[in-house]
Amino acid sequence: MSTVDTIAAVATAPGRGGVGIVRVSGPLTLEIARALTGRKLPPRAAVYCGFRDGDGAALDRGIAIRFEGPNSLTGEDVLELQAHGGPMVLDMLLERVLSLGARRADPGEFTQRAFVNGKMDLAQAEAVLDLVNSATRQAARGAVRSLSGEFSKHVHAIAHEVLELRVFCEGAIDFSDEDIDFLSESDVGERLASVRKRLSKLRARARQGALLKDGLNVVIAGAPNVGKSSLLNRLSGEDRAIVTSVPGTTRDTLDADFDLDGMPVRVVDTAGLRDTGDAVETEGINRAHRAMAAADVVLWVVDDRAASGGPGGDACTGAATIIVRNKADLSGRPTGSISLGAVRICALTGEGVDALATEIKQAAGYRAGEGLFTSRARHLDALAAADAALAAAAERLAANYGELVAEDLRDAHGHLGAIVGRISADDLLGEIFASFCIGK
Amino acid sequence: MTLHSETCDVIVVGGGHAGTEAALAAARTGASTLLLTQSIETLGQMSCNPAIGGIGKSHLVREIDAMGGAMALATDAAGIQFRTLNASKGPAVRATRAQADRTLYRKAIRRLLEAQENLAIFQQSVVDIEIRRGRVEGVLTAMGLEFSAPAVVLTTGTFLGGRIHIGLSNHAGGRAGDPASNALAERLRALPFAVDRLKTGTPPRIAGDTVDFDRLEPQWGDEPCPVMSFMSDGSEHPRQVPCHIAATNAETHRIIRDGLDRSPMFAGEIEGVGPRYCPSIEDKVVRFADRASHQVFVEPEGLDTNELYPNGISTSLPFEVQFALLRSMEGFERARITRPGYAIEYDFFDPRGLEPSLETKAVAGLYFAGQINGTTGYEEAAAQGLLAGLNAARKVGGSAPWTPGRHEAYLGVLVDDLVTLGTNEPYRMFSSRAEYRLRLRQDNADLRLTPVARELGLVDAGRWRRFEAKRAAIERAAAALKATRLTPGSDLCARLEARCGETVAKETNLFDFLKRPGATAADLRAVQAVAADIPVVALEQVEVQAKYDGYIRRQDREIAKMKAQEAVMLPAELDYESIEGLSNELKEKLSLAKPGTLARASRIPGITPAALSLLLIHAKRLSGERAARRSA
Ligand SMILES: Cc1cc2nc3c(=O)[nH]c(=O)nc-3n(C[C@H](O)[C@H](O)[C@H](O)COP(=O)(O)OP(=O)(O)OC[C@H]3O[C@@H](n4cnc5c(N)ncnc54)[C@H](O)[C@@H]3O)c2cc1C
Ligand SMILES: Nc1nc2c(ncn2[C@@H]2O[C@H](COP(=O)(O)OP(=O)(O)O)[C@@H](O)[C@H]2O)c(=O)[nH]1
Ligand SMILES: [Mg+2]
Repeated sequence: MSTVDTIAAVATAPGRGGVGIVRVSGPLTLEIARALTGRKLPPRAAVYCGFRDGDGAALDRGIAIRFEGPNSLTGEDVLELQAHGGPMVLDMLLERVLSLGARRADPGEFTQRAFVNGKMDLAQAEAVLDLVNSATRQAARGAVRSLSGEFSKHVHAIAHEVLELRVFCEGAIDFSDEDIDFLSESDVGERLASVRKRLSKLRARARQGALLKDGLNVVIAGAPNVGKSSLLNRLSGEDRAIVTSVPGTTRDTLDADFDLDGMPVRVVDTAGLRDTGDAVETEGINRAHRAMAAADVVLWVVDDRAASGGPGGDACTGAATIIVRNKADLSGRPTGSISLGAVRICALTGEGVDALATEIKQAAGYRAGEGLFTSRARHLDALAAADAALAAAAERLAANYGELVAEDLRDAHGHLGAIVGRISADDLLGEIFASFCIGK
Repeated sequence: MTLHSETCDVIVVGGGHAGTEAALAAARTGASTLLLTQSIETLGQMSCNPAIGGIGKSHLVREIDAMGGAMALATDAAGIQFRTLNASKGPAVRATRAQADRTLYRKAIRRLLEAQENLAIFQQSVVDIEIRRGRVEGVLTAMGLEFSAPAVVLTTGTFLGGRIHIGLSNHAGGRAGDPASNALAERLRALPFAVDRLKTGTPPRIAGDTVDFDRLEPQWGDEPCPVMSFMSDGSEHPRQVPCHIAATNAETHRIIRDGLDRSPMFAGEIEGVGPRYCPSIEDKVVRFADRASHQVFVEPEGLDTNELYPNGISTSLPFEVQFALLRSMEGFERARITRPGYAIEYDFFDPRGLEPSLETKAVAGLYFAGQINGTTGYEEAAAQGLLAGLNAARKVGGSAPWTPGRHEAYLGVLVDDLVTLGTNEPYRMFSSRAEYRLRLRQDNADLRLTPVARELGLVDAGRWRRFEAKRAAIERAAAALKATRLTPGSDLCARLEARCGETVAKETNLFDFLKRPGATAADLRAVQAVAADIPVVALEQVEVQAKYDGYIRRQDREIAKMKAQEAVMLPAELDYESIEGLSNELKEKLSLAKPGTLARASRIPGITPAALSLLLIHAKRLSGERAARRSA
């Protein structure tokens, strides 16, 4: 499929040190490269250069490499920008690329393009499907999390107000020969002004991070007494959980926030999973299952002296799972990474916890080089686009172009719909018929 | 037993709005065509209100016209009151509506049919369709005559299993005065089509000499009188007459409420679903109980009859209630009914069983068009008819089918909506269904469609010559406006600023100047900014292009995206049930619609970008596997 959109994303795991990569793919690549570096990059050559923002000021210096399709990762024109890393700089670089006409990549989208453009063989189709499936599951989880509660309520309310405006504007166009008083122009103007005010307030709050939560949701689970609470305390660097040698001490989920190399992480400690007659403990175990279902990453803790491996049966979730073999001091085996998705640690001393942190970042979905934790950014993009469309609508209303107002409102509604779900033309007509007595 | 048998390329069954356009289109492309219909007298008959056009609908009529069809020409020859709707709004949503004299309209259609080469008309009811090994081979008529053809277009309207309701009594009928097609309906029900029931209704007709017009407000047509066809100049129009506006009142509503227990709708006698936007008067009174009054347009049925059509009181209440409610309205105290109002229930086929060419997926060579696809309205029927007739002829001639895209025509929107989404109420066109409506205007229907229609063999030399002259004039006008500089302080600039109330701060050209709200083509003409030999229609066309410029470019980007998705075929053997990651609801919808392309899948309600990704990868894998098998 010839793609029209140019996509971009931070392609490396977030972290403070080292080099970070922003990857761009699609038809606008060449143009973006030129605007960003101020020069025409030869293909397939690493060029050390400055990256400039819109005013020509330097954002960072780094290496840019341009690949021409079809001989590239995705089969399209691709640009790789290696910057000095640091989440802030990478974010600013990405925003700059987006302002030049690219769109934030969807989860798994680079890989998907590579497959569709024949850069991967058929045998890899399953793997691509798995990636898209799990990426979208994780993204959906991320969206649900950042959409929780108040934010979602506000977006729904704004989308509804836009819908009502559309009902009037479309009604006035399609049913102008009915004897119905649709909103007068001044009413439309007033309502439009009020919904714009609401939207910009929401954007301001969302930008400050007041409403949108994002970051990694890590859940610690396993049998009682394997050292889950000890691990929580280790990871968060504080004594959050009570640690005893009595199995079943942790009865409710407990969480702590910490910062993993710049990536916000919430760890959740849960009650040990076992069969029990105790009603309170049973409730705690139910909560543990719920927490696992909402997790991005599950740390499945086992006692290193036991033979058993990963979680079985209903303890399996769609989330990435890391097997954490604890109590290395007692088993006497070396701490550190065992294989992909398995580490050995000693929660008591903290040995091996660094290796675990690396595993967590890997499991967070940066494995395929595709950022997943962008739902919050995506929501902000959609709100900004809706805002711009409403501003255009107001301008057109002042110039008395009803059909263009309707067009801008449709556009705005579409952007809000990207967050809260789109409605079809037929749904809109349904709203009109429900609100007004139409038809002769 | 066969008494007589004949062979031709395309057989069209039904002489309504779909059937006549289908027969004309097939014949225009050179296919030998036979139109079989119950009665030659009812060719081009308007079953319901005597009007053509309206918002969204006149867009379809202009498209039919741009492709050489009959409806606009017949409307210009039969229209007795023309109005431009949304005149105060922008050109994209302006529409034309005409009251048509029923008799003149039928005559005009019949004249066009009889003048058409390659077209034979025969009066017979079709009772059976002959199908062998999944292919259509011909039809059998009530008299036992056999007609063979490799393509058959079925356009039998509301006639299949038609049942007419007035109050609590009902009887079989295709529409008032015409028999239902029951034998054919039985036969079709036995074929693998998904059949369901819809209903629609019509008001009682009134004797004009019993109405007190002095107490009704007259409504005349527009001056200058609009035309429907790109080929018309208004001289085709017969004498123009007014409509009148009446209203229901509290007493009317009381009578209706008292009669509800004898309404077949409210008593549950009718299972078919009626249109939401065309409710019966009893529906309106119940659903919008707070309205004290509803408007009724009193429309003349023709020039040589005094019969009237009261638009707004469609009803299936018992006759005595119809009578009482009519007489309760001001000006109608002495009114007499000439024909009772009624509701009709009929069979339609789930249009998701159709290809975008309107060929049925189940039977090769069999096409459906018009009301049997779940639509309502003459214009919707005619537009489908043209498409089905064209594609039937193309199939016989061995050419690939043609269907316009959603960005090219309302016809494209109509067909795509039907075959992708199906419908659960009679489907009517509205401008809000067309997401690219800023480019799908009635003023540019010819620019959009006449060139391709010419290639398809639908447009004759006369229309083509006229079109080319118009297009050349527009191109010349656009070039002239873009080339004319507008410098602040110049004489021309001062005149335009004064006239339009706009200020020009830095140098621009006339085309960009036209983007401003205050500037119009008429202004340019008035201050003599352009050469006098550039026609006004061309200037106006350029003005529309300028005004919508930025929006059209944004839509162009959306369209490019859609086209990329259109290029991704979803093979028929794609098993949606087995795709992991799709919700059950989506699996079901996709299995039913079998969307054909990724673009069509993207329009199924509830689809997500992630689901589209999955479809894309599965489609790619399937086609890769097929390629591998071929080369193996
Ligand atoms: C009571 C009523 C109310 C309506 N109300 C409205 C309305 O309010 N608004 C609106 O937009 N539209 C309305 N319509 C719909 C409008 O009339 C139709 O949408 C339109 O006429 C459909 O065109 P068509 O060509 O599909 O079918 P029709 O115009 O119904 O034509 C069908 C043709 O097929 C012929 N035929 C049928 N069976 C056979 C057979 N077995 N063999 C040969 N010929 C056959 C018939 O004689 C007829 O010529 C109404 C229709 C009816 C009947
Ligand atoms: N020796 C040793 N003991 C540990 C280690 N981790 C936890 N423990 C002990 O195991 C017991 C249970 O620990 P706790 O964190 O409460 O386990 P939980 O039930 O899984 O939450 C406590 O007595 C801890 O001190 C470890 O790495 N080494
Ligand atoms: Mg514990």
